[in-house]
Amino acid sequence: MTDRRSRFESGSIAWFLQRVTAVVLLFTLGFHFLWLHFVNHAAEVTLWGSALRMDRFVYFIMIVVFLVTAAYHGLNGIYNALLNHGLSGRRRTVVFWLLTIAGTVLVIQGIRIAVAMAGVIS
Amino acid sequence: MSDSDADRTIRPETSGLNSEDPEEPESDVTESTGETVTLRIFRYDPEVESKQDAGFDTFRIPTHEGMTILDALIEARDEQDPSLTFRHSCRQGVCGSDALFINGSQRLGCKTQVSELKEPIQIEPLPHHPVVKDLVVDMDSFYERMRAVEPYFDPDDPPPDELTERYQSRENREDVKLSTRCIWCGACTSSCTIASNEDVYLGPAAINKGYRFYADEREGEDRAEERLEILQEHDGVWRCQTQFSCTNVCPQDIPLTEHIQQIKRDATKADLRFW
Amino acid sequence: MGAPYDRGLIEDFGRFRYFSAGMWAWVLHKVTGWVLIGYLFAHIAVLSTAIPAASDPEAIAAGTDLYTRTIQGLEGIFLVRVLEVGLLAAAVFHMTNGIRLLLVDLGIGLEREAEGFYVSVAVTAVITVLSIPVFLPPEVVPW
Repeated sequence: MTDRRSRFESGSIAWFLQRVTAVVLLFTLGFHFLWLHFVNHAAEVTLWGSALRMDRFVYFIMIVVFLVTAAYHGLNGIYNALLNHGLSGRRRTVVFWLLTIAGTVLVIQGIRIAVAMAGVIS
Repeated sequence: MSDSDADRTIRPETSGLNSEDPEEPESDVTESTGETVTLRIFRYDPEVESKQDAGFDTFRIPTHEGMTILDALIEARDEQDPSLTFRHSCRQGVCGSDALFINGSQRLGCKTQVSELKEPIQIEPLPHHPVVKDLVVDMDSFYERMRAVEPYFDPDDPPPDELTERYQSRENREDVKLSTRCIWCGACTSSCTIASNEDVYLGPAAINKGYRFYADEREGEDRAEERLEILQEHDGVWRCQTQFSCTNVCPQDIPLTEHIQQIKRDATKADLRFW
Repeated sequence: MGAPYDRGLIEDFGRFRYFSAGMWAWVLHKVTGWVLIGYLFAHIAVLSTAIPAASDPEAIAAGTDLYTRTIQGLEGIFLVRVLEVGLLAAAVFHMTNGIRLLLVDLGIGLEREAEGFYVSVAVTAVITVLSIPVFLPPEVVPW
């Protein structure tokens, strides 16, 4: 019904990445909930405690991977939901870039927080 | 017609069709059990003033063992209200004309037993299509989407000479077998939330039809690649949300979701392949 | 011929009584997905208090920095604790149903997807109930 697509506009890559990030999130989100609610209780969180966790390189990397995959998975999920409701044409392009910008801001801010926390211990 | 609302509930007593006496032998093999079933049937007729406001009419139909919804509709039309309009042709689940929305689910009238359903049985036209009259919907958008996948055998190479038959391996026949069952009834596409918007999604029937030829090895690799392209244009397989509605309602038991998923996986493999 | 009749949105949303397992799974996956991405933005916003707080080591040592006060203040609100249980339920359902969807994408067990949904709901219910003592303050949990 429409003209031929190029490989990079393909839905297949986005579909595949949504599944790959899903698998990553099963582990990172699962760990996050276990670690920050069941092992360490949310009500007892202090900046010093968060900083001690973030100071460990493996934890830092994991939290950044968690952040990036969650942002992609969530915002691509929203984008798909809107496409399913018939978003198209110019509005589709605008929404695509709005979500991309929102995701970028989210990831940058998240990394700034992680760096600030890790910087408390020095 | 100028029936008042009260007149629109028609009872079998007025039709005088069925004898209530069970002793009396009848020639018809589908003998009446003397029981009736209540149908609530969607009515709309833009040409009749009293039916321009869509609504439901109640019919009480004498039943017999093995009675289908289509039998009941024919009974209602022939004996009670000749203006009742619905599509049917073969009456045996082959032509795909009588897909209806029966008790909240897309079913073929001729393959649905009255005795299986909770009363009153609510019969409505196929959802997500404009209603032309009563139970008849305009299916143009469905047919257009079926045509969009180029639903015909189209091999890369012509046969070596015109009279050569093209044999298909038994294994390959098994791959496409279930997909060939489609009777174009539109039940699946009507059941799909995403396909309700024709501009968004080809819908399960069209993708299954594309799969039928994509999976047919006799067409050749080039055509298969083109078919994958057609099936994943922006309104193609990527819009499938695996709701399983299509697979649940298909009267031919085609594993539609499975076929759509197969196309997604094959397309992903083809796009990720860089060697 | 008069105008064809368009029955509109009732066809999608007026039919929930007849939804199959797959439809419910789709609806719930979508709703929980919106909740989770919405929470992610709110979460990052709250955690952002760590950036100004990080430059005040004395307050950090005393546990009176902006970040610690903000989080403990929020955790002190009963409603927040209850919403956290809801968040856990959303996350667990999204994860268990997500596993179901991954299996469906791999072509595994398509004929048993409905059971997969019931298992997702059951696992979510069990984990949610078991987590209540963890999330709610001890004085309101009767066991």
